[in-house]
Amino acid sequence: MDESKKPKAISRRKFIKGVGTGIVGTYVVPSALSAIGKEEKKGPKEDWIPISLTVNGKKVRVKVEPRMTLAELLREELELTGTKVVCNRGECGGCTVVLDGKAVYSCHILALDADGKEVLTVEGLMQGEALHPLQEAFWEKDGLQCGFCTPGQIMAAYALLKRRPRPSVEEIKEGMSGNLCRCAAYPKIIESVQAAAEKMAGRSS
Amino acid sequence: MKSNQPLNSEKVFRPANLDELDALAAQTAEGVTYVAGATDLLVQEERWKSARILVDLTAVKALHATLEVRENGVLIGAAVPLSRLIRHPLIRERLPILVETCRQIGSVQIQNRASLGGNIANASPAGDTLPVLSVLEAELRIGPRQNGEFEKLSLDQVMLGPGQTSLNGNRYIAQIFIPFPPRDAFWYFRKVGQRQALAISKVSLAVLGKKKEEKIEEIRICPGSVTPQIVRAQKTESLLRGQPLTEERIEKARAAIECEVSPITDIRSTTEYRRRITGELLREALYLWLRN
Ligand SMILES: Cc1cc2nc3c(=O)[nH]c(=O)nc-3n(C[C@H](O)[C@H](O)[C@H](O)COP(=O)(O)OP(=O)(O)OC[C@H]3O[C@@H](n4cnc5c(N)ncnc54)[C@H](O)[C@@H]3O)c2cc1C
Ligand code: FES
Ligand code: FES
Repeated sequence: MDESKKPKAISRRKFIKGVGTGIVGTYVVPSALSAIGKEEKKGPKEDWIPISLTVNGKKVRVKVEPRMTLAELLREELELTGTKVVCNRGECGGCTVVLDGKAVYSCHILALDADGKEVLTVEGLMQGEALHPLQEAFWEKDGLQCGFCTPGQIMAAYALLKRRPRPSVEEIKEGMSGNLCRCAAYPKIIESVQAAAEKMAGRSS
Repeated sequence: MKSNQPLNSEKVFRPANLDELDALAAQTAEGVTYVAGATDLLVQEERWKSARILVDLTAVKALHATLEVRENGVLIGAAVPLSRLIRHPLIRERLPILVETCRQIGSVQIQNRASLGGNIANASPAGDTLPVLSVLEAELRIGPRQNGEFEKLSLDQVMLGPGQTSLNGNRYIAQIFIPFPPRDAFWYFRKVGQRQALAISKVSLAVLGKKKEEKIEEIRICPGSVTPQIVRAQKTESLLRGQPLTEERIEKARAAIECEVSPITDIRSTTEYRRRITGELLREALYLWLRN
């Protein structure tokens, strides 16, 4: 591995141009454009950084502001508003999406970080007009009341079931402990995940 | 911002390997802000907004991908997501105390992003891995490399107090080496927070011990969250070391640790509460050890 070799001199300029880094390269932007405080205006689009990622199976090339979160990219740039932003600080799970197979809080990840990766949102679950077994199960078992937390719950459950196709109640509780439900529909959410697991096992065999 | 004139230049770097990272660290006169999982950074708005140069560590394989199991321990990249540790069969087998601690950090979504390096460098006394890394006597490998070598430091040489580390001059944590405790070692980690998931510890305690012929051969005790720095309870440890574990000893040890720790008072709880709970946790740990 070239990483273990002695450090070679790399000029700042080389970094700035992203030469030789290959992966995402390097970005320079004026700071007035910083947009973590959503009240601040985003900078002119010509300063945004191009990335490419796969969203719900489709290749997407898009320019992002350096501090834009993945949730902002999905909702504001790609108009995929199924993903909800509630606390916007990594505590409630409302914004959960699946990134390279793992559940993550999209409000808590830079859009830049999704470069080259695969994102699945609740919009990507349906096959044509057919609901995904998880969506079906949440509907049949009343796994929601107001429904605001549901897209996040479903995406967290999706990642859990990929890892553990037949989870125990304890495993569901642990796997989904990062998703809060203000309506406290928890018992029904657990039932829904169990029902979905059964449906999915039935369909794949 | 009053005007929309750009004031400073703001840069985001994503070095692709260690050489690039080291060159960047060495050649940048200004302080840089390293970003691993960003789970701490993104909620610290002031720090995040004032950061001028961001260096994303997640493309540097040595930091983000290293997980090397050796005969005597494991070498873990500082930016490896905690969920990889939780799911690694050999780490589960040899370092159950670390796995259990990581499972109690945040939630699955947080564990998929958060790293050991971030937990250490964030330098919160409530960082849950800190007391555990302390009892495991983890060795931190610090970059940039000098003559091709990382500097090796212990946790208490790096974490100096709340929000304070010795990592100045763009130094970063590259890797963490954790020696394996003996297979029959006793371990205990418990954190007391306000609720189970997504809670910040008010008090935690990590204990690692080994008995030989009914006597305590080795014991390491480290409270978390109660003191500004992460320090082992050495007086209490020496009260136990070399002694048989009896109920009487346990009560003495509990009293000793209550005197030894000097807890902080903050929004999450008071000094007296933390002192008492630390004593109770130690008591619980030692009784569990006595009975198993
Ligand atoms: C909802 C939620 C729940 C949480 N629950 C817990 C919990 O239960 N227990 C707990 O201990 N923590 C918890 N945390 C805090 C956080 O997730 C952990 O501290 C985590 O380990 C930080 O890792 P990171 O990779 O995300 O760090 P980052 O946010 O990327 O970085 C944290 C700090 O460390 C610096 N840094 C990161 N990596 C390095 C490096 N390799 N070298 C030098 N500096 C570096 C950064 O510059 C920054 O200052 C929680 C956070 C959230 C949002
Ligand atoms: S909106 Fe992302 S975790 Fe709450
Ligand atoms: S259904 Fe209302 S928040 Fe969960």
